[in-house]
Amino acid sequence: MALVRIALINITRRRLRTGLTVCGIAVGIAAFVTLVGFSKSFEREWLNLYRSEGTDLAVVQKTFLNTTVDERVGGRIRALPAVAEASPIVINLMDLTPEVNALVYGLPESSYEMAPLQVLEGRKFRGEEAEVMLGEVLAGNLGKKAGGSMEIQGASFRVVGVFRGGSALETGAVMMPIGQLQNLADLHGKVTAFHVRLRPAPAGLAEEEYLRQARAAIEAAVPGLKAVPAGERAHNNQFVSFARSIAWGTSLIALLAGALGIANTMAMAVFERTREIGILRALGWRRWRVILLILLEAAALGTIGGMVGLVAGWGALRGLASLPMTANIGNASISWPHAGQALAIAVTIGLAAGALPAWRAARLSPVEALRHD
Amino acid sequence: MTEEPMLAARALMKEYDEGRIQALRGVDLQIAPGEFLTISGPSGSGKSTLLQLLGGLDEPSSGEVLYRGASLAGRFDLDAYRSRRVGFVFQAFHLLPALRVLDNVQIPMLEGRLNAQERRTKAAALLEEVGMTHRTRQYPNQLSAGERQRVAIARSLANDPEILLGDEPTGNLDSENSAKIMALLSGIQAQRSLTIVLVTHEAEVARMGHRNVHMKDGRVVA
Repeated sequence: MALVRIALINITRRRLRTGLTVCGIAVGIAAFVTLVGFSKSFEREWLNLYRSEGTDLAVVQKTFLNTTVDERVGGRIRALPAVAEASPIVINLMDLTPEVNALVYGLPESSYEMAPLQVLEGRKFRGEEAEVMLGEVLAGNLGKKAGGSMEIQGASFRVVGVFRGGSALETGAVMMPIGQLQNLADLHGKVTAFHVRLRPAPAGLAEEEYLRQARAAIEAAVPGLKAVPAGERAHNNQFVSFARSIAWGTSLIALLAGALGIANTMAMAVFERTREIGILRALGWRRWRVILLILLEAAALGTIGGMVGLVAGWGALRGLASLPMTANIGNASISWPHAGQALAIAVTIGLAAGALPAWRAARLSPVEALRHD
Repeated sequence: MTEEPMLAARALMKEYDEGRIQALRGVDLQIAPGEFLTISGPSGSGKSTLLQLLGGLDEPSSGEVLYRGASLAGRFDLDAYRSRRVGFVFQAFHLLPALRVLDNVQIPMLEGRLNAQERRTKAAALLEEVGMTHRTRQYPNQLSAGERQRVAIARSLANDPEILLGDEPTGNLDSENSAKIMALLSGIQAQRSLTIVLVTHEAEVARMGHRNVHMKDGRVVA
């Protein structure tokens, strides 16, 4: 007859209340798993994007809000000895239909970032023609094939190819000549960033040191801009930062509601079982054992809610990954660390929510508690 | 009484409601090891309050309770005292409704050092001692009042206490079950050399102890 068993027996005494409490925390955890998982997936896909293209550094504005770079600085970057290639890129998010929006990349035809794209049908765009290539997922969602046409922001484009990229951010995206996107987005002479591929590090120089030197050289050549390693850029770009903030903010509100549910349930349980707690104290149970019992019950509610929330969150992620509006951003997988984090949050919430009721239970006088009706 | 008392009350006072209610008004009492003491008196005479103070469930307003000559006041660990030295039997049985009979008996043992298997074995032996072997898997609400009190007695013996305190243990029983419970307590007292202090308002039960004290208006009067 272990304490854990008593705790589990106690939480099954009021099944409806326990079920509703578990649902409350499950909603919070599901929101966390879905939203934070979605933002992490988004971040991971950005990293995949850079890796698949072989980009080492992104040259961007130092300031947070002004995100465009004068495209004329490209020459100065390319002239640096460590730089093998520097490709301008414009990135934008556009509504293609009322239901489907997508990332739109503007690149020069000659960009090294075009090379890894696998053309599934048709061909790549040429020069500065009004042509677009569609990622395979996006093409499927829109029902478009090579040879067709489409309108973007009121301008007509020919769909010249369907491609497969190394990241979900490409397979659900549009690629077009950079000048066309600059026209659409009214960004004449401006680009979002320069993506830089470095030459191999000289023998005897550590990769990390080489990267540091290259960054310093670029930042010296183009004052006001910063050279950010690809991994850091994937983690900190504005899309990811915004998605992460929204995900955590929304999840925290949902988790707070779940915590209040557990706190209410445990407060009610302590009130209803005042006499039982008095019996336990009369039989010699120490205060800490009463506290432990109540905390175990609260933690069990959190754990069960966490597990239900994990399953629900996984289902929601699968749903998002299959929706046309969101399929281009993420996938349905939940990493083990993310699942562990969700469960740890659920248990912590349970313990925190049970702390006050547990403390109140332990303070009950045995005589007063035994008199309680 | 030449032997050191198992329990003693010295000038024990207990007040409630900022002194407006005086439940005990200076009780002096000594209880020898192995003694079966009954405390009788009308409702409100203070007998249950006295039992609670003797059992370390509450603290006196003044005066002191001595266990083997040591005061329960101050640094004495009352939880350990209740857990290891004292067993309680209540009028309302106070079994935990969500737990089976075998589990109820094990509850006090969680404060001890027995492992799970040892706890189960000991609880089964105690239930055999009170004649409840056939009901170990039942819940309290599936038992008769007499059976519940037998389980409560088994539970009170879980940590092999020296003292058993009963607060009207036959108060909710018919006369037949009442006699059976008293016979059971007498047998256990003799077998284990327990010190028993039993509060009752029934004259017949009060006569079954080695000694009876009578209380009225918060004082021992006879």
